[in-house]
Amino acid sequence: MADEFNTDGMLDMYLFENEQLLEQLQEMVLEQKDAECFDEDSINEIFRTMHTIKGSSGIMMFDNITAIAHKLEDVFYFLRESHPDNVPHLELVEHVLEVEDFISGEMAKIKDGQSSDGDPSEIVADLDQFLDKIKNGGESTAKDIPENVHEEAKQFYIAPVANADSRFYKITVHFFQETEMSNVHAYKVVYALKEIAEDILYSPEDILTDESSAETIIEKGFRILLQAQASEEEVREIIGIGYDIEKVDVIECKAEEFLKGFNFGEEEAGIDLNASVEEIEAKAEHALEAKKENKIAPGDFVVKPKEQTKPKKVAKEKPKAEKATFISVNVSKMDMLMDLIGELVISESVVMQNPDLKIPGLDLTNFNKAATQMAKISTDLQNVIMSMRMVPLTNTFQKMNRIVFDVSRKLGKDIEFEMVGENTEVDKNIIEHISDPLMHIVRNALDHGIESNEERKAAGKREKGKVTLAAKNEAGKVWISVTDNGKGLDREKILKKARQQGILEEGKPDSAYSDKEVYQFITLPGFSTNEQVTEYSGRGVGMDVVVQNLQAIGGMLEIESTPGEGSTMNLKIPLTLAIIDGIVIETGNSSFVVETGLVKEFVSVREDMMIHEPNGDEFVMLRGECFPVLRLGDWYELENYCQNVEDGMMVVLELDGKTICMLVDKLVGKQEIVVKPIPSYIKKIRGLSGCTQLGDGSIALILDPSGFIE
Amino acid sequence: MEELSRPNSGSVAVPGGYDEQEAQKGMYMTFKSGNEYYGIKIQYVNEIVGFQDITPVPETESYIMGLINLRGKIIPVIDVQKRFGQEPSEYNDRTCIIVVDVKATTVGLIVEKIAEAVEIKDDNILPPPTISRVDRIQNKYVYGIAKVGDSVKLLLDPERLLGDEEQQMTEQTNELMVEN
Repeated sequence: MADEFNTDGMLDMYLFENEQLLEQLQEMVLEQKDAECFDEDSINEIFRTMHTIKGSSGIMMFDNITAIAHKLEDVFYFLRESHPDNVPHLELVEHVLEVEDFISGEMAKIKDGQSSDGDPSEIVADLDQFLDKIKNGGESTAKDIPENVHEEAKQFYIAPVANADSRFYKITVHFFQETEMSNVHAYKVVYALKEIAEDILYSPEDILTDESSAETIIEKGFRILLQAQASEEEVREIIGIGYDIEKVDVIECKAEEFLKGFNFGEEEAGIDLNASVEEIEAKAEHALEAKKENKIAPGDFVVKPKEQTKPKKVAKEKPKAEKATFISVNVSKMDMLMDLIGELVISESVVMQNPDLKIPGLDLTNFNKAATQMAKISTDLQNVIMSMRMVPLTNTFQKMNRIVFDVSRKLGKDIEFEMVGENTEVDKNIIEHISDPLMHIVRNALDHGIESNEERKAAGKREKGKVTLAAKNEAGKVWISVTDNGKGLDREKILKKARQQGILEEGKPDSAYSDKEVYQFITLPGFSTNEQVTEYSGRGVGMDVVVQNLQAIGGMLEIESTPGEGSTMNLKIPLTLAIIDGIVIETGNSSFVVETGLVKEFVSVREDMMIHEPNGDEFVMLRGECFPVLRLGDWYELENYCQNVEDGMMVVLELDGKTICMLVDKLVGKQEIVVKPIPSYIKKIRGLSGCTQLGDGSIALILDPSGFIE
Repeated sequence: MEELSRPNSGSVAVPGGYDEQEAQKGMYMTFKSGNEYYGIKIQYVNEIVGFQDITPVPETESYIMGLINLRGKIIPVIDVQKRFGQEPSEYNDRTCIIVVDVKATTVGLIVEKIAEAVEIKDDNILPPPTISRVDRIQNKYVYGIAKVGDSVKLLLDPERLLGDEEQQMTEQTNELMVEN
């Protein structure tokens, strides 16, 4: 039992960690996909990621994942060590993504309790081929254009400004014995010398990080090798500033000596070489060998070798987001906490509105004070738990980035992808629900929206297609829009298809349908105007599913389109599913809640404002406009409700541009309510979207007026 | 608190679920509804609460009486007698709600009166007679007839008691979707 449990825990951790690693990997790769090559940091990062995955997969005995991660690690090892030129960057990106897909796929299998049985050999072979290619590619370039390589090499090995005027110095700085933190003082010296240095090397090396280096410096002096175009006096002047330095030895030397590193220490002060110095020396000699024909070759001592090695254009630098610390919490625990806080809020109001408090003559001063304090805390608590559930859309958007990359490559379309407002935060539950619809819409935009390169050229458009994914917070809702600059929707084609399918009303002319209505047709089941079914879309199952998924979370889809210029899909999504601001009303013996955002106004109406049609339909005239009336009591066949409009109250609801007046018995109040689903045992009821508990513990049903509007 | 009131949740005294299940085997909660006594396996029973205010839900089957608030959890309640197609008796202070967990669904059953928890040996359970005096609808839910002393209890299968609805429900939601 115990062992089993342990492995489970490890597996969870393995999956969780690797998922995160892969996510970061993908993000990084996609970010730099348009650059000419990966920058140094990314290469290291990808290398490390693969190394970690390889290691952990090895422990978990997923050999296929280990193998593939190992192979990619090899590739990046080569990139890291050899800095080959002319690496086909897009190909590399594809390889990385392929590997990432493979591992993700395997992990999904593992998650579902299946065994990880994917065969990596094909991808591994591909990678081998690729690795060979870039290895040989580098060599062949060396043969073909030696001039170029020579120059590159020069940039790599020699400080770019090194020339005949450069002079080489061996410097030993002796600090006073009582100097504290001499390592920091030493760094000051190095820092000052960097101003003039073409190359600088010092010992001990790790003066900033290793505090014990201070002792070494005091004892043996701080030794510097400097290459600079400055006279000895100038160097002395730079070092000499300060109260802390006892003595400075500056000895000019030849380049060869300079290369040998800290040998001079032996002769001069008789100091034993420590390991690190030997290492440096070895490096220096190695560099010398590597560049025999070149006399001045203080190889790796170049101040900032990294920048010299990368003359290529790298992806734009993104400021690293501040690292926050995270712990992962089981979502079910969060949900439980959320429920409990909901309960707390309710029971709080049960206490506050307790009838016992209404006994006349009670002195409640202290009680009220305490109650206010408690209300504050519970409100804070509620806000915190809500914010805990809020997750930025970044990950979801990144996924789309990936899709754009894949699909545009496969379709051979040149498509630019832009993300706006990916930091917009949405309730976690909602994110789960919008990922699929969004994916579909993006695919549609890529496949149907954006024309092929040739078509675009013919239409005189900028050749690159563009898809913009934008999110924003507005009026308590999240708006996500997918915009493409493609050909837009074809109204005529949609209408024709709609007529074929018998969706259009008989005898109603095409012109009677507004653009918006026409575009909505594409959200109907089995409706696809694309004659060709492609791998990505066109099967006609799609938009209807998208709309259904959105409706399930109370969202909407709006379609805008301009022929020839592109279309925009607007998704309107509630910020959270859990808490809404509601107005409590009573009809008959039942309580209902309606979302405050939908209520336009409350009106008391007189009988003479009512219009009764012979067929039973009722209308009310408000300020010269006529609105349909819905008697809530009638709609649900409730008992004992006010038949007389003058005794009741009209709630004017506005929804999707339509207005209806709902007749209710009375208004109770406005309240924040925790939305709970109606138990699934009860079938879906038209016009009801959930239920909630009121302050007194009783249950109210939440009205969904869209159910009233047919 | 909640844990204590659940006979089938991991109680403190019994380590591991096995013994507890063993202890519950053959135990039935019996209750009176109409003129008959019924039994329901105690594993299904979550708790028993007194009758409380029910919020009616419109447009539902007549036997679904509405929703109750069970310490913050909102659950539907059904009237067993109405479910059997009988006339419901007046609710009084003996009326109880048996909260049952069937699969993932929690539902309250309104019963006229709780009788007792009894042990019924498998030998004493007979299959329901094919030609039965009890109403045919009722027979759907009864999977066995048990003899306890002199009296006879009809053993109910709560999955059938609720299950039919689930199917209906999905059918109905499907219809709704098609309409939309």
